[in-house]
Amino acid sequence: MSFSRRSNRLVPGIAWVTYLFLLVPSLIVIPISFGGPGEMTFPPRVWTLDLYRQFFADPAWWGSLIQSLQIAVLVTLVTIILGVPAAYALQRTNLPGGKILGGLAMGPLLVPVVVLALGLYLQLGPIGLVDSTWTVVLAHSMLALPFVMVSVGAALRHLDPSYEQVALIMGAGKTRIFFKVVLPQLRAGIAAGALFAFLISLDEVIVAYFITGTDTQTLPVKMYSALRWEVSPVIAAVSTILTVVSLTFAIGLMWLERKDRHD
Amino acid sequence: MQPLIKDMIRVTALTRTYGSFKALDAVDLSVAPGEFVTLLGPSGSGKSTLLNLISGMTEPTAGKIEINGKDATNQPTNQRGLGMVFQNYALMPHMTVFENVAFPLRVRKMPKSEIETRVRDVLRLIQLDHVADRKPKQLSGGQQQRISLARCIVYRPSIILMDEPLGALDKKLREDMQLEIKRLHAELGITMIYVTHDQEEALAMSDRIVLMRKGRIEQQGKPEDLYFRPDTLFTADFLGSSNLLKGKINSTARSLDTAYGTFPLPTARSDEPISGEAVLMIRPESMRLVSDKASAPGAGLEATVRDSIVLGSFVRHFLELPGGKRMIVQEPSGASISRPARGSTVRIGWDLDDARLLPTDPDFQNV
Repeated sequence: MSFSRRSNRLVPGIAWVTYLFLLVPSLIVIPISFGGPGEMTFPPRVWTLDLYRQFFADPAWWGSLIQSLQIAVLVTLVTIILGVPAAYALQRTNLPGGKILGGLAMGPLLVPVVVLALGLYLQLGPIGLVDSTWTVVLAHSMLALPFVMVSVGAALRHLDPSYEQVALIMGAGKTRIFFKVVLPQLRAGIAAGALFAFLISLDEVIVAYFITGTDTQTLPVKMYSALRWEVSPVIAAVSTILTVVSLTFAIGLMWLERKDRHD
Repeated sequence: MQPLIKDMIRVTALTRTYGSFKALDAVDLSVAPGEFVTLLGPSGSGKSTLLNLISGMTEPTAGKIEINGKDATNQPTNQRGLGMVFQNYALMPHMTVFENVAFPLRVRKMPKSEIETRVRDVLRLIQLDHVADRKPKQLSGGQQQRISLARCIVYRPSIILMDEPLGALDKKLREDMQLEIKRLHAELGITMIYVTHDQEEALAMSDRIVLMRKGRIEQQGKPEDLYFRPDTLFTADFLGSSNLLKGKINSTARSLDTAYGTFPLPTARSDEPISGEAVLMIRPESMRLVSDKASAPGAGLEATVRDSIVLGSFVRHFLELPGGKRMIVQEPSGASISRPARGSTVRIGWDLDDARLLPTDPDFQNV
């Protein structure tokens, strides 16, 4: 009895220590980002917005942020347009070889990203497709597609097929059923998939590092290079911006999932 | 003037197998226009399979389906012109009640103004016009099922299929809805095929009951035919309760020799078992307690009273024969009713032709 009461306090204690251990490295950059120019110390000696000013003054920095956001939006669109019908087809039809197709779509999850990146570089380099925004969009789409298909697939599994059956009996065609009956009820699943896709693309560094050049580099690639060559304190401001953007979307994702469960 | 269409639905030798399991085994069935037919049976008897084959949701392994005089065996579901009500209502949760009911009309590309009047009319018919702007989830189960009925009626399909539509409702609501469905059927004259495993529901609602067992039709007919004139032990057992006495037919004396005595047989039917083992079936309400041995056939059947209970308009006696076999006798009750004491001995009698001679059945060994 006394043991279990002690362990009742022990378990949350360990959990909190672990959380802090994981969170502190991410959170410590936030105060640092409000420090003075030319220094990267904790706690900062002066509190200024200089690092943010530097970030927005340098087109190489904010340009890569724009580039990252642009790619993430395109990746989201591409994966939704491809992933939703694909998940629907795999879930609701007896497609010959459907299981294999489903497995293939999940493939990128199983291959180490660095292997994928190297493969893309070696394959696309000789035919001049590296250093192009669309190449990054397609490569990121490949990485994000499994997540979209999983979240849409899960939503589909929870969707009672009798909605589609009753619509069919009432005379509706397949297109109308997909757009008017199925799609509206998958809203939360699609939104969750879209957020996954957006965040995966926004944070991705390895593949982008291999296949982007100076004109197309994304924010994480620019950050990685900055760390290697100059160790600019602006990096703290960039990290904070990226964290805030990611966090905003992640909270949105959790909120949507909760809302879906309550509906 | 007679209508030109003879059958609204006609299925011939319809078969559906899943591997080696015959879900439906060469079934023939015709449904007349405006008829209310109930497919009744235990789960796995093939009633839902038959319904899904008619709707086109399941493809037949063999056989033919005709709807409205046309071969529909290979017709896509959305061209069969049917309506269907599901047990779980299947109302679109993202649409309002109005939009749900309007959906089949939008499919038919009806002009907006006509959709508006038709939907309002049908909602008024089911007395739910005040909830048009709500979402289905905000309504009670009974209301949702009425909306789902309205969604069928609104586009006037020639046939409405119902798959255990009242299964999710409580008893009181179920009885109200039975009346509502019967009223709509009578007012609109739509052919209805109704699937249920609830024998009381089937008896209350149907023009004709089709009783199914192991993928085949066991017996079909009017509710009173199936109830009072079953052809098999399965039918007798599935609909209501019955008293069964198993024995050997003595064809010269026209009697049945059982472990509890010898009983005279009812007037012969053409299809009854002529010789060998057979079962005499008597409904509890066809039996009565008699005072002397001579007043009715079977009056030699002496039993001990285990219990006797008044159920309002009738009284039910639970009796036990020597050897432990249970019998139920149900008599009309009244203010002057006198119940036999528990443990006392009574005699059971019945009218000869209220009994029914049935063949034995390997599934009913313990009769």
